[in-house]
Amino acid sequence: MSPPAPHSPAHDEEGAPRGAWARAWPHLLLLPFTALTLVPALWVVKMALRPAQSFDLSLSPLPEAWSLSNFEAVVGAPLFWRQAFNSVWVSALTTLVGVLFSATAAYALSRYRFPARRAALGALLVTQMFPGTLMMIPLYYLVDALGLLNEVAGLVLVYSATAVPFCVWNLKGYFDTLPREIEESALMDGAGPVALFWRVVLPLSRPALAVTALFSFMTAWNEYILAATFMSDERAYTFPVRLQQYVGEFSAEWGYFAAGALLVSAPVMALFFALQRQLVGGLTAGGVKG
Amino acid sequence: MSPLASPPARPQGLVAPALAAVASLALSAVALTQASRYHAGALTAWLAAEVSAPPPGAPQAQALAALGARVEARRLAPAPAPAPASAPGYLRPLLHLDGAGGAARVTDKEWFDAYWAPREAWTAAGGAAWRRGATGEGEARLVTRATPLAPRPLPWGALLGGALAALATWVLVARRGGGARGAGLAAAALASAAAGAPALLHAAALEGQGAALAAALGGAAAPALPLAALAPLTAALPWLALGVAHLFTRGRASPHRLAYAYLAPTLLSVGLLVFVPFALGVALAFTRHQRGELVWVGLQNFVEILSGGDYALTHPLNFYFTLGVTVLWTVLNVALHTTLGLTLALLLNRGGLRLRGIYRALLIVPWAIPSYITALIWRGMFHQQYGLINHALGALGLEPVAWMGSFWGAMAANVATNTWLGFPFMMVVSLGALQSVPRDLYEAADLAGATPWQRFRHITLPLLAPALSPAVVLGSVWTFNMFNVIYLVSGGQPGGATDILITEAYRWAFEQDRYGYAAAYSLVVFVILLAYARLTQRLTRAAEEVYG
Repeated sequence: MSPPAPHSPAHDEEGAPRGAWARAWPHLLLLPFTALTLVPALWVVKMALRPAQSFDLSLSPLPEAWSLSNFEAVVGAPLFWRQAFNSVWVSALTTLVGVLFSATAAYALSRYRFPARRAALGALLVTQMFPGTLMMIPLYYLVDALGLLNEVAGLVLVYSATAVPFCVWNLKGYFDTLPREIEESALMDGAGPVALFWRVVLPLSRPALAVTALFSFMTAWNEYILAATFMSDERAYTFPVRLQQYVGEFSAEWGYFAAGALLVSAPVMALFFALQRQLVGGLTAGGVKG
Repeated sequence: MSPLASPPARPQGLVAPALAAVASLALSAVALTQASRYHAGALTAWLAAEVSAPPPGAPQAQALAALGARVEARRLAPAPAPAPASAPGYLRPLLHLDGAGGAARVTDKEWFDAYWAPREAWTAAGGAAWRRGATGEGEARLVTRATPLAPRPLPWGALLGGALAALATWVLVARRGGGARGAGLAAAALASAAAGAPALLHAAALEGQGAALAAALGGAAAPALPLAALAPLTAALPWLALGVAHLFTRGRASPHRLAYAYLAPTLLSVGLLVFVPFALGVALAFTRHQRGELVWVGLQNFVEILSGGDYALTHPLNFYFTLGVTVLWTVLNVALHTTLGLTLALLLNRGGLRLRGIYRALLIVPWAIPSYITALIWRGMFHQQYGLINHALGALGLEPVAWMGSFWGAMAANVATNTWLGFPFMMVVSLGALQSVPRDLYEAADLAGATPWQRFRHITLPLLAPALSPAVVLGSVWTFNMFNVIYLVSGGQPGGATDILITEAYRWAFEQDRYGYAAAYSLVVFVILLAYARLTQRLTRAAEEVYG
């Protein structure tokens, strides 16, 4: 790669180790482990691509017969597009509300010192420990009392409230790492405190905002149990609720389930790949450190 | 105080109170509509449940028609055959209430009964029915058709009057000078009083409607007043908010008003949708559910849990046994997550590694798949007969393993699933943390002739620890409460032995129909986690002091 540098005996200036063996052995660990990691996912892909509903019994990574019939059946099912739209709409609104709420709150918690600051931070952290079993029935009553059962708004409210605490902590950690000098110089240039946040801090925080948006989105996109509880009308179902019915009470249609699972996972997967750089940066700095 | 000082407060004009008046009007209208709808829904359900459909032409039928309601309902006894119980209850629809001829709303009590006892809801021909009682005895109801009562029109004039009166009060009092705080609160109080009158009148009219039905058909209808009483409260909210805002702009707290404004949406939503349900859940922990009623039992639930009930220490239903399993589960998982995640991150972070991007992308695949899907996939993979894992063992010439037949087998299946699910998070956190370790430290170590282990032990680990420890704490809290994997992979098999506290709580609530007990159980789980978090906070602080 690069010529030997005199200052470092075992590594070149990129930090890369010298010698064929030193370069090769990480692959000996990484390759088998990555392959092992992908087995369950590939198994699902295979089940989705074969025209059967039973469990797959062969060890071959390729299906014995190829068919898109599972996908056709899932997409062609009554109300599929309606339910897909529900999922997209709920997730988009949750992401929007979650990011907006958590960004403003995180900024206040990061930059201002006010009497209830520590209490607010603590309260948000404590919510991560609330057991779901304790919350479910009261939440049902609450959403019912608000008249929002079977309504997208009910799910959006609950999802954003669930996602916001983690997002606030993540963003606050990131804001904490932004040097204040930038804001101070903007202040000198005559920016008001409001413009400071919207025009200076937010644009600087794109990686962390992207990660926060991803988490908000996933909270809504992947959630099953509350959606199943709140949405009793088939027209109001989200994707996960529909999906579990393939292997639910009256059926074990693993082919449909696998096809549906791929459809549900695909957008999140795409977002993960698109954002993986930001994921490393945005989570770290943000991390969860207080 | 930060360098970001607030601008001087501007004098308050008419815009804010006018907005508050409009908001107050809208809110009280919404509250009244909801109260009215709720009442109508409750009446409908009462009709569907308690009243047989009157024959056409009967005085009862005329009374119903006069109120815009139509009911056809009958009772079925005994219950039809129970639904197949193949799927786990968690994945079963909790309630089926939409019938062929329109949905019927049910009252709280009915919802509770239906939610509580059966969960094995099944659709019967032409409608929805649900079984009462855990044993399958008792009655089933078939709601064929229950047209909701038409909600009453809102008293718009009275609402508008209330809002205008409140606005006038605010303007008169606030313009007079004097304490802005007192003025805000006085106006808010007046506004709520003004808006309260029509709300209560409306509720009284609703109750009259219910009473008329009850008189015609016999029986008692649902009250409307308690819910309608919320309307004045919601009407007062904007005025209270205005008063508080005034307080911050003119009063002591003004320098922080921007901070509070930024925080308000988060605190409001989290407060209403996380803390309020939590508080209600806590209240439930002191009750017992009996025939649809909640009975206050004080500390009885907690005493029963913490004394281990009547079960021996080795019995899966004993609290301490489950606690032990939970701790074991958490420790195993967090250890595996951290070790795997850190190892992979270190490998990926080696300078000059080829294919790094591809490895990283493929290794976060498990994170991107929803956990309930992962759990169902792995349950399939561990299936004794059809599962991939036993087939792989067979190909190697080994005997198939009955994974769910033994405690350690089921535990291994759970841990394998959760490890697959959770290592990418730790890997990504570690990768990020590694980026902040300055490279010249390693160069210096190289010059000093440090071994790889010494480099890890004395440079990497101490620098990573502060960034990793919060992630480890959070990860252990999440694992402690990881419901999906346990419930869907092992389902507690064998005999509930691999249940952790959170799945056990769920079973008490939704399989044993003991919601108060389950709430108390969940509360104990929460207290344990809180204690753990406090402890680790102390430890982190101590560690920070040690490391400087």
